[in-house]
Amino acid sequence: MEITRRDLLHRMTTGGAALAVGSAVSAATMTAVAHAEEPATAPAQAVGMLYDATRCIGCQTCVVACTKANDLQADSRRDPLHQAPGDLNYRTKTLIKLYKEADGKEFSFVKQQCMHCVDPACVSACMFGGLKKDAKSGVVSWNGKLCVGCRYCEVACPFSVPKFRWEGYNPEIVKCEFCKDRLAKGEEPACTAVCPKKAVIFGSRAELLKEAKLRIAKNPGKYYQDRVFGEKEGGGTQVLYLSHVAFDKIGLPQLGDESVPHQYLKWQKRLYSYLVLPAGLYVTLVGAIRNNWKHHEEHMDEEEKATGLKAQL
Amino acid sequence: MVTAPVGLALTGKNSVVQMAAAIGKTKRPSVIWMHFQDCTGCTETLLRTSAPDVAHLILDVISLDYHETLMAASGVQAEKALRQAMTENAGKFVLVVEGAIPTKNNGEYYQMGGRPGIEVLKEVAAQSAAIVAMGSCASWGGVPSADPNPTGAVGVSSVISGKPIINLPGCPPNPYNLLAVVLEYVTMGKLPALDESGRPKFAYDRVIHENCPRRAHFDAGRFALAFGDESHRKGHCLYKLGCKGPVTHAACSTRHFNEVAGVWPIGIGSPCVGCTEKDVVWKLATFETVPIHSVTPPDSYPSIIVPTGQFKAGAAAVAGIVAGAAGAAALIAAKRLPKEPLPVEAGRQPSQPESKVPSGD
Amino acid sequence: MSERWQRSVPVYDTPIWTRPFQCLCALGAIGLILVLYREIVGLGPTSGMNDAYAWGIWKTFNTMVLTGLGSGAFAIGIAAWIFRRDQLHVVMRTAVLTSFLAYIFGLTMLGIDVGRPWNIYWIAVPWHWNLHSPLLEVAVCMSIYATIPLFLENFPPAIEYLYDRWPDLPVNREKVEKMIVAGYPFVVSLAYVLPAMHQSSLGALMLLGGSRVSPLWQTPFLPLLYVWAAAFLGFAFVTVTLFLSSVAWKRPLDLEILAQLNRLTAWLIGSWLVFRLVDLTVRGQIRSAFQANMFAGLFWTELVLLGAALWQLRESVQSRSPRTMFYGALLTCVGGMLYRFDPTTTAFQPKPGAVYFPSVIELTISLGFVSIGVAMFILLAKLMPILPAPLRLWREMEAAKSNQSLAPKPAARLGREQLVAGD
Repeated sequence: MEITRRDLLHRMTTGGAALAVGSAVSAATMTAVAHAEEPATAPAQAVGMLYDATRCIGCQTCVVACTKANDLQADSRRDPLHQAPGDLNYRTKTLIKLYKEADGKEFSFVKQQCMHCVDPACVSACMFGGLKKDAKSGVVSWNGKLCVGCRYCEVACPFSVPKFRWEGYNPEIVKCEFCKDRLAKGEEPACTAVCPKKAVIFGSRAELLKEAKLRIAKNPGKYYQDRVFGEKEGGGTQVLYLSHVAFDKIGLPQLGDESVPHQYLKWQKRLYSYLVLPAGLYVTLVGAIRNNWKHHEEHMDEEEKATGLKAQL
Repeated sequence: MVTAPVGLALTGKNSVVQMAAAIGKTKRPSVIWMHFQDCTGCTETLLRTSAPDVAHLILDVISLDYHETLMAASGVQAEKALRQAMTENAGKFVLVVEGAIPTKNNGEYYQMGGRPGIEVLKEVAAQSAAIVAMGSCASWGGVPSADPNPTGAVGVSSVISGKPIINLPGCPPNPYNLLAVVLEYVTMGKLPALDESGRPKFAYDRVIHENCPRRAHFDAGRFALAFGDESHRKGHCLYKLGCKGPVTHAACSTRHFNEVAGVWPIGIGSPCVGCTEKDVVWKLATFETVPIHSVTPPDSYPSIIVPTGQFKAGAAAVAGIVAGAAGAAALIAAKRLPKEPLPVEAGRQPSQPESKVPSGD
Repeated sequence: MSERWQRSVPVYDTPIWTRPFQCLCALGAIGLILVLYREIVGLGPTSGMNDAYAWGIWKTFNTMVLTGLGSGAFAIGIAAWIFRRDQLHVVMRTAVLTSFLAYIFGLTMLGIDVGRPWNIYWIAVPWHWNLHSPLLEVAVCMSIYATIPLFLENFPPAIEYLYDRWPDLPVNREKVEKMIVAGYPFVVSLAYVLPAMHQSSLGALMLLGGSRVSPLWQTPFLPLLYVWAAAFLGFAFVTVTLFLSSVAWKRPLDLEILAQLNRLTAWLIGSWLVFRLVDLTVRGQIRSAFQANMFAGLFWTELVLLGAALWQLRESVQSRSPRTMFYGALLTCVGGMLYRFDPTTTAFQPKPGAVYFPSVIELTISLGFVSIGVAMFILLAKLMPILPAPLRLWREMEAAKSNQSLAPKPAARLGREQLVAGD
């Protein structure tokens, strides 16, 4: 195929111009986006829970209270006589698990429920905003009207919290929602209200962080690594943990200080911001194809002449 | 001791001294006690009390104007005593009914002085201030009402309406249930709060299971599986032997019998039969286990790592077969393609720049 | 003999209702009945998905992997239209049809996989979109792509078929074709921008898996690797389709065009492998490839498959051996599919102690949909001018048509001859 010098020059200048404009716009957009990419912080009135594993006695009153307060059906599938969920599931928004070394020397109870992360992966994952983080209290809750049941939140959550109802034709995503109805009435969540040892307590996240640090300061060496889990892990969570054993032994994953969305969706945000790059690409391609169309038409005419048949589009 | 049986009905204000004084001041309320289809067990149970004991009860607390077992009179004199008590205390006496009321064939299966019991009951009840149905028989029919119920036995509330009826089911009920009702009426002039079946809430609002002393064994999964086995001897939970505790409303688990701790059915290793409940005691089989309505966690804990999902061999086989079939099809197709390059049609040049001599096979 | 493909010609000389076609339809019907069952009883009883592995093969295989295979329209289109590989225009219709079928059934599978499908309408309500979600990008972009540009790209053969059967349609054919020509650049450009977006977003989906996706796969460049893989999968799958059609219906091959496809595929695979390995090294994860576990095994399997593919493709370009070409394309498909599948399931460990395997019903539904797709391709390839062929085949078809109309009608046999004869 022959290209004249004129063609080449023409193409290079238009191409170069397009490239220059495109790059300038993209650079500008991306800088703007980069500024907006500060990691998320907890809302000013963020609520929180502090669970101190050293105080928990494993009485499971919180499990019963949660089931009652949330109108859930007790999960007695594993044990017909008792409410004995094996894990969080669509009937269980919180449960107590036991970590025990084989020799029985080291053990700890752990209460599992939604961590209400400061920058939740589930909220970033949800297509239509079915999971939403309240701007004031920071509670992450599920809205059935917007949820399409795609279960991306289950895939995205680093704590494996949201659970799907697998049976029946009307499934839901179930997870702790901080008893938001009780919060609205000025009460505290059911689990924190009934804990007989105040192992899990309710308060504002800021206050609870202070309390946790106070406990650490007053008892040096008692708590694992003298730190509270959730202050920074995964970008920070509103449910905080104090433990005397390693966090990963009680099922808390090892996470860096960056939240999952912040760490992994940076480039998505940059490349798609305001759809500038895709639009630019589209315009470039339209130009290229229109350019090549003439050439294609010539090709088609040749074929028509050679074969005597109308060219196929 | 006197305040104990009243339990929740008492407030902190009423001390023992005040209650004794109150009892002394009021005119002893009149009580008419009638028997119907009964075994007299509900009267017998009163003999096992000491706070107040039966003597104190009928001499000082109440005026027991008619009681077929305890009264000295009989025959015409007894009937006269009944009539007198009715007219003298019309509208003020408490009628205690013991035993079921047969209704079949116009109540001919129980007759008092030649009259059907049901008629007598209606007559007496009409004059009463309140009715206490003592025992399961009077509350809902009890033993006589068990299938096939040949006499059409029913409880008092099926026959009488328009009067406050307090049901004290049990076979027999704990005597303090009655005493507490009586004492509350006598000292405070009112009747205790009742549930929707007319039973006082202070004794019948919880099921046996909720306050059972053996509950820890239930929660830990320690069950007696046969009478006399090791678990049974150790006093473990009797649920699997058919204990009806989880569906039976009564206070037996906290307030035992005969004023000796541990003297109650479960305490001696006999599963509760649900004697207060109409739908339980002669409806469910002895060893039939009952549903637990308020399910709570056991004494065991799930571990941190919980296995999820399973690998199913059947599905793996299907997947294998499909993959194998696809692979086989692809290989068969490949074999049908020639390995050697095809001759190019005349007039057509191979157009790739790096063309080398096509390698034969 | 290798003949130059010049024209798209329907597979006119074989009946439609053959035994294999019946089997595919039967499988499809079983799949559809099971779908009904799934909608009634829920996902639990009908699939092996659980709270740890919330995505089963419907999303990961039928949607994420098969639309990779269905990227022929995207890959070959760009080669033909942007990079002026003019020879490839004649295989465009095959590419565009396979892509359309892969996407339509991939999207349908997505609709069946979601638990609350009555809320799917939110996809058309932009102010409720969560623009951070890669899955939203996938859903919206794929839907627009499949229903508008990809659908429109399939118009030309449909138009030919319609006017061939019913020459007296009220709308003027010239007008329709003029409209198509006028809109071509705009529609076709969209058909390249959109797949670039959603094929990369398919890769971005597993970014949110974070460190739970094995580091042998998890990389910030996952979207790029996915769209790149879509490109070579698109080429390879169209090549495989062309070879299978040739074997099944005795259509002549054009080894020039096939060699060109393979050359492009080889180049894409080669550069992709380099990038992947460099990325692995830069992230310091080469050591993970040498651990004795399943992840390393899968990684090496992919590498071996794609390496063998590259080898076969390069050799076939030189040797022009049809069988080698086919093997090359086939190995590319298998290796590429494995690559796109691994980060979603086999290389994804949401939490320890979790296991997933699709249930029999899940497999059957997946297979059923693939069967329907294949059956539709067969049907359309037989009815419409899709598959490329040399000119002589066109002339033979025309001759067969006119012979049919003159000769006395044979005993009733459901074949295209009867349809074409116009009675």
